[in-house]
Amino acid sequence: MRSGRAISVVDRRVFLKAAGAAFLAGLAPDAAAAMLAADAVFATAYVDREGSYGIALLSEEGHLVHTQPLPDRGHDVAFDPLTGRAVAFARRPGTFAVVFDRTGMTAPSTIAAAPGRHFFGHGVFSPDGRLLYATENDIDAAAGLIGVYDATAGFARIGEFQTHGMDPHELLLMPDGRTLAVANGGIETHPDFGRAKLNLSTMKPSLVFLDRHTGSLVESHELAPALHQLSIRHMDLDARGRVWFGCQYEGPALDRPSLVGRVQPGSGIALLDMPDDVLAGLRNYVGSVAANPAAGTVAVSSPQGNRLAVIDTETGMLVGDLVLTEVCGLAADRDGYFATTGEGRIVPASGEDATLPGYVWDNHILRIG
Amino acid sequence: MVLRRLILAAACLAQPVAVVPAGAIEPPGAAAMVQDAIEGYIRPAYASFASTAGVLGGAVDALCREPSPTHLGMARSAFGAIVDAWSRVELVRFGPVMDDNRLERILYWPDRRSTGLKQVQAILADRDAGAVVPESLAGKSVAVQGLGALEFVLFGTGSDDLATAAGFRCAYGAAISANLGSIAARLDTAWSTGEAAAGLWAAPGPDNPLYRDGGEALGELLDTMIHGLELVRDVRIDGFMGDAASGDKPKQALFWRSEETIAALRGNLASIAGLLEASDMTASLPEDRRWIVGSARFELANADRALSGLEGLPIGDILADPDRRARLDYARLVTTSLSDVIGRQLSGEFGLTVGFSSLDGD
Repeated sequence: MRSGRAISVVDRRVFLKAAGAAFLAGLAPDAAAAMLAADAVFATAYVDREGSYGIALLSEEGHLVHTQPLPDRGHDVAFDPLTGRAVAFARRPGTFAVVFDRTGMTAPSTIAAAPGRHFFGHGVFSPDGRLLYATENDIDAAAGLIGVYDATAGFARIGEFQTHGMDPHELLLMPDGRTLAVANGGIETHPDFGRAKLNLSTMKPSLVFLDRHTGSLVESHELAPALHQLSIRHMDLDARGRVWFGCQYEGPALDRPSLVGRVQPGSGIALLDMPDDVLAGLRNYVGSVAANPAAGTVAVSSPQGNRLAVIDTETGMLVGDLVLTEVCGLAADRDGYFATTGEGRIVPASGEDATLPGYVWDNHILRIG
Repeated sequence: MVLRRLILAAACLAQPVAVVPAGAIEPPGAAAMVQDAIEGYIRPAYASFASTAGVLGGAVDALCREPSPTHLGMARSAFGAIVDAWSRVELVRFGPVMDDNRLERILYWPDRRSTGLKQVQAILADRDAGAVVPESLAGKSVAVQGLGALEFVLFGTGSDDLATAAGFRCAYGAAISANLGSIAARLDTAWSTGEAAAGLWAAPGPDNPLYRDGGEALGELLDTMIHGLELVRDVRIDGFMGDAASGDKPKQALFWRSEETIAALRGNLASIAGLLEASDMTASLPEDRRWIVGSARFELANADRALSGLEGLPIGDILADPDRRARLDYARLVTTSLSDVIGRQLSGEFGLTVGFSSLDGD
């Protein structure tokens, strides 16, 4: 529900039976049956036990429906329900994104990062599906960018604009269809030095709102200066269009800053008080944030703390708390969450857990139908 | 890459708050291995870092009092000694060294856009009075108060003048040395008295805010080695050495000015060997699995042998010589196989798995 535009179950079935015929024809018979029987489909990056990378499509019951190979490690997926196309982004500092057609109408294609740029792993489509926005690094300047791609012209890169910060990670399209929310994690890295963090003493994260038509900065929100090492990285939208965000703390391990906050355009940014034991269980690291607007909750996961916490978006109170080894991937599902782990485990909101031990699920999972 | 215990737990997300306690079994000997690593390696290594910082302070002070080629040589040699001592403990990137930005205050690197270098040059050009008082230096940019800044003072453009005239440049070097001395002393005290995070590591338990059981404490030790190997490979060697010689960038090497690049790499690898020895992991493995530690030792010794004899040479010369470059390339290759031996095989024997999704900052 990241964009609030996931197509309904009924739409999806109609879609699959009509436009999706070619896609289904390309699947093994049992996979096609699983796809048709599935109430929902989720996409997540994985590495398998042979060390191969890809994107997996999982049914709501945790069945593996389809896999799309990737040349290297992926991170998150963007989805356009109008065309059924999804884009899997390379994990930072990767330089590829793979477009695959959920409907099977066209062959997969690869988007290469522009010279001097790399992807940060997240992207989002415009509401009409015509444009794709990706978080990127201007490597030499260590400046955050949004790369703009024309989905109607082979995903040609047609522009870029500044994120007014460093290390932009996840981005969201706001309900107005025009504003992009971008989490500037604030950590400088350079591909020459792997994933080494180059500026921990001076990092300056922010959460910004950008006008996707003009590229201009609408608002920038920063936390208190004492929290400058609290990297804002993941976000989702609740039913009222408020942005919930999760952080990763780069300061001393004994510090216990709050890791979850909320911001709304036009008003301030605020961190949420959480019970000490739950906060401690998150180990200063939130790996994924997903809201369930229908249920009025938001969930955050910590693979470092093996913990998943669910918060009521109206009261800010904790309403769910789960110990789950290496949990990270989260997506809204019915009145709860579909969660995946680094042990290959799949935990649907209802029904039985499943585990595909041949797979290690990456950080994120997205409902794509 | 965070190591974690295999925990069996299940609950329905839709249910109200309910934490299922971890049901993991403690890896046998976990707390003892950590204790031994602290006492047998980490404390002595920080003590050595503190004492070499003291020697460095004395050498730079002597140079400032009485500039001479001999005193400059002694100060430069003391710089080599502290680089060596630091390299042997810098992979321990948790605990007291994470407080007050100490890690970056000791060594701000890589300085990809030469931010630190420009700041250091500005201090020298402006004769910034605040930079020659250790206490006020400690409040300045992390890039101007540690080993990188001192390397420029002692080995950078214009440093030969220190042999004849001390002046501001030497006073700045003395302040950096004193600042390093006070940070090193604080680290030595923190580890030797077991204060805060250092003490918590040795005493895992349900109420411990950092290490809830021996598995998490042991995971930190193995993480140190795994992350350390990754740092040596991805950040240190790959930072200046391309896949082919045409991609080499010798001036991106750490300590290229002082020609301590190789010594620092050897110190890093020696620290992994030292932690393995001190923690005596062999003793906690079944007899038929002890070869894993032996295999790690063998690989570390091979890498060290490949690098021996390259110390003290300009890194550009090493890279320009195909035979020498090949030796460095071999050391890089060994770090990859060591990552598998320690990160997968050894960790797996202790019931720990390498976390996939929780790598830094994604």
